[in-house]
Amino acid sequence: MSVFSAGLVKTIEGYLTRYETKRSAILPVLHAIQDESGWISPEAIEELHTKFALDRVHVKEVITFYDIYHDEPTKKYVLRFCHQFTCHMLGAPEAIRKIEAKIDAMGESCPFQLEKFPCLGKCDGAPVLLVNKDRHERVTEDKVDAILAKYERTHG
Amino acid sequence: MADAKPKILMKFEGMPDGHSLKTYTAHGGYTALKKAFGMTKEAIIDEVKQSGLRGRGGAGFPTGMKWSFVPKDMPGPKYLICNNDESEPGTFKDRHLCQVSPHMVIEGMIIGGFAIGASKGYIYTRWEFQGEIKVLEDAIKEAYAAGLLGKNILGSGFDFDLDHYSGAGAYICGEETGLISSLEGKKGQPKLKPPFPAVSGYLGRPTIVNNTETLANVPHIINAGAKEFRKYGTEKSPGTKLFSISGALNKPGVYEVPLGYSFEKFITDEAGGMMPGRSIKAVIPGGASAALFTPDDLKGLTMDYEAIAAKGSMLGSGAIMIIDDRQSMVEMLKSTVDFFSHESCGQCTPCREGTGWLANIMCGLTDRTGTAASVDKMGTVAKYMSGKTICALSEACAIPVISYVTKYGDELKAYLAKGG
Amino acid sequence: MAEPTPTITFLMNDKELTVPKGMTVMEAAAKNGVYIPHFCWHPGLSIAGVCRFCMVKVEGRPKLEIACNLTPSPGMKVYTQIPEVKEAHKWALEFHLINHPLDCPICDQAGECKLQDFYMEVGKYKSQMERPKVLKPKALAIGDDLVLDTERCILCDRCVRFEGEVTKTGALGIFNRGDRAIVGTYPDRKITHNYQTNLVDICPVGAFTSKDFRFKQRVWFLKEQPAICPGCSTGCHVNVHGKPEVRTYFRVKPRESAVNGHWMCDKGRHTYKHLNQEVRLRFGIVSDGVKGSPRRRASFDEAIAALATKLASVDAAKDLALLVSPQYTNEEYKAFFEFFVKKLGVKKVFQWREPTEKIDEFDGLLYRGDHNPNTKGLSDALKAVGLSGDVKNGFGELAKGGNKLVIALAPEVAFQYPSLTAQLTSLSELDYVSLWTLNGDVFGMKGIAHAIPMKGYTEKKGTFLNYQGKVGELFAPFPSAVDDARDVTETVAALADVLTRAH
Repeated sequence: MSVFSAGLVKTIEGYLTRYETKRSAILPVLHAIQDESGWISPEAIEELHTKFALDRVHVKEVITFYDIYHDEPTKKYVLRFCHQFTCHMLGAPEAIRKIEAKIDAMGESCPFQLEKFPCLGKCDGAPVLLVNKDRHERVTEDKVDAILAKYERTHG
Repeated sequence: MADAKPKILMKFEGMPDGHSLKTYTAHGGYTALKKAFGMTKEAIIDEVKQSGLRGRGGAGFPTGMKWSFVPKDMPGPKYLICNNDESEPGTFKDRHLCQVSPHMVIEGMIIGGFAIGASKGYIYTRWEFQGEIKVLEDAIKEAYAAGLLGKNILGSGFDFDLDHYSGAGAYICGEETGLISSLEGKKGQPKLKPPFPAVSGYLGRPTIVNNTETLANVPHIINAGAKEFRKYGTEKSPGTKLFSISGALNKPGVYEVPLGYSFEKFITDEAGGMMPGRSIKAVIPGGASAALFTPDDLKGLTMDYEAIAAKGSMLGSGAIMIIDDRQSMVEMLKSTVDFFSHESCGQCTPCREGTGWLANIMCGLTDRTGTAASVDKMGTVAKYMSGKTICALSEACAIPVISYVTKYGDELKAYLAKGG
Repeated sequence: MAEPTPTITFLMNDKELTVPKGMTVMEAAAKNGVYIPHFCWHPGLSIAGVCRFCMVKVEGRPKLEIACNLTPSPGMKVYTQIPEVKEAHKWALEFHLINHPLDCPICDQAGECKLQDFYMEVGKYKSQMERPKVLKPKALAIGDDLVLDTERCILCDRCVRFEGEVTKTGALGIFNRGDRAIVGTYPDRKITHNYQTNLVDICPVGAFTSKDFRFKQRVWFLKEQPAICPGCSTGCHVNVHGKPEVRTYFRVKPRESAVNGHWMCDKGRHTYKHLNQEVRLRFGIVSDGVKGSPRRRASFDEAIAALATKLASVDAAKDLALLVSPQYTNEEYKAFFEFFVKKLGVKKVFQWREPTEKIDEFDGLLYRGDHNPNTKGLSDALKAVGLSGDVKNGFGELAKGGNKLVIALAPEVAFQYPSLTAQLTSLSELDYVSLWTLNGDVFGMKGIAHAIPMKGYTEKKGTFLNYQGKVGELFAPFPSAVDDARDVTETVAALADVLTRAH
């Protein structure tokens, strides 16, 4: 039994032959795995090593080097909030504090986790927040409730 | 007299479906490519050299010269990589450009690939640009479908494949050899030079890495000629340039202006001036790694490589961040130091330990346990971590730190003196 | 005729140097006795260029350059000692120390730590870090002989390159980035190969320490002597570290040579243990010469006298058999066979080999299936006295009996002979065996009628022939850990002397 879905196995196999070397496929493969399960588990790494010939040390190095990858389970929504420079100047600290308080109040069932993130490259829309892959701009303290509410609803 | 506000890179901005192949070709897109196929490789490289186009990623290295470093007679694959990693805090012009005009970038890549003899290209974009990645991937598909990529492009006999590759959250992948390491599926650690990538880059093969905006300038240079390109800009900084401007402004955003444009005018006209009730306290002219300017420094300043360097900072990627009077320089410095210590790849000791050391001292500043001596110590550490490492990240941290300590040291020390 | 290697001439500290083209400044300096401080560069590994310590000044260039990745061009002027360079070294050290625990008093690397050496040289006595340092995992057991302290690690990448380039196991990586970077194996996996202690050797600080050596000795109390590893037929050049004054050896380390480069295997590292006095046969064994008669300890001279008496009572050509292991020197074989075969006319000479050995095995790096240092030397010595040099275990032949006296040169490195106990038991069943050995266990074996304590490989001069026929020389012996021990040559001479005087 694979820890990956049949579709994901196909995607991984596609990446392994798409680039000049198998190793070049590590980043795209990890993105695909994280898209499916939210994180990259030890079982996933083991399967990449044994079935897809992607060395476990190489994979672990990559996962721990880049900010995007998670080697621990994640909540349904990962909030990446830029907290520096322009975002800092235009209200990120207050918005972040508000999100932190909301997450605290929601307790165990909270579908959100917050990461203070380096510059997201949309400083003209500061403060900037990524919710999984969606970008939200001008996320000042007063906008936080509305944005999170949208995701809470889809979370059910 | 040249148009004061030319739209070359931003020609398609605001056009309906401006990013589509249909609109692009309807307005002269891919004619430069056809023209290039009728030229020799040497002639293309020469035209780019003549244009004086300088790398738009930050270093400002002449593009034509970079291309000419690729060994001509070496058999085997060569690569052209578009550096669309754009992670320098304050920079967001490539993001905007590839959203507005993905085909301009692709056309530039095919021409560049043809000129250096590359058979394969990659566009490497930071993962955080999900929407833009989608635009680029769709544009690549369109180009393949139209026979603009793949085998025997437009019957020229030239084969060129183009693929997109996503980063995963690491500033250092914007450094060209860090990007190459990442593309090889490794940690994005810059490589020791020599050898240089033009000789030994991606997988040990000759590789040219160009910034997105740099490549987007190529179709215009080939179509209109070097002379026409030089119609804008200055002698040493020719052409137009995209500037990203952010802060407490009325119209932050990306604007195309000729190099040599007035800095003050850019802030008031293009960016609409400061938000009501706010004034300029300091300006970062070229991304987080540039030295700060005081409002006084801006007087009469022009936006070109030489003028900004002459004032002791750098144009960099053209990322202007305005620090307004409500901001604490302690917190801005903390942003800077935290950012670079978070992003140091960790291989060179002076950078790994130096950035961490600065962040450590910085904690003492923000919690007011430090002393005036800590502020001076930051300057000293910054000085000795400079110029000693494989890539420029160490200096990218050191340069702004030294400028904060030099220009705003009094404010930093006063903050400490205030007590808890 | 081969083309001469192209050379280039440049100036180092104003002195003209002519070196092969392509050689780096670091290598040229090392070859010419100029020391450029470094951590990450290692002559047996690829260039990483990450410690940024080996800064030198090239005239006309604005920035300092790293010597390890600098190839001189003709006429280039390189300076290694000017104030600008020294200042760079001081700060390079400062950056290396800022998060280092500075726990030298409890660190095994103390005394051979490059960080500590430079620290003393540059004269920094206090960490400038005013706030807590970065804390990282310590005392990780990541291999059979390896303990890893990641706080002491300076991330020079030598160990990672060793695992990638030398053993090609790729077991180590550097995880995370910035000052959170940490060296290690994949979680819960251990390094299991036979070359792991090389990681301890190449680690410039005390991040990797050897379990076998940990906390046993301060290195500055150790004396080292060059020797040849007796663990297999490769014959790695080694240094053996010990304290002769307390008759104890502590470790074996590789010595650079064309045979083994910079490395040696872990099996070879264990070839000091049998040399220590506590496990040695410290005296001779004699008995009345009748099977089952009481045995007693004897001095070397008494043991020789007893053997001479026994020898005089047998017909050497008919009743005496020799059993010889391939772990002695060419010089010892020569003396032994000259005396017994040529002079006394012994006809029955057997080889003492391990029956389970797979002599042609090779791990691709250094370790060979022939776990003896001198199989070739023994063959040559046998041929030199007109006997067959074919490699063959003679235990079966010997067991057929018919010998009134068997003189056996036991293998020195007992752990390489898994069948040794069985072999000794079978010898102890013979009529009369004179066992020449280091092995202290034989005193407990009642059937061994006679024994002479032997010197170990670190205690004698002589040569081995390795698998290629290359000579490996033992030339600088330690005093023996056992007063009464002799090598084979000395033993044969003593025996000949007694026999001559008796006649």
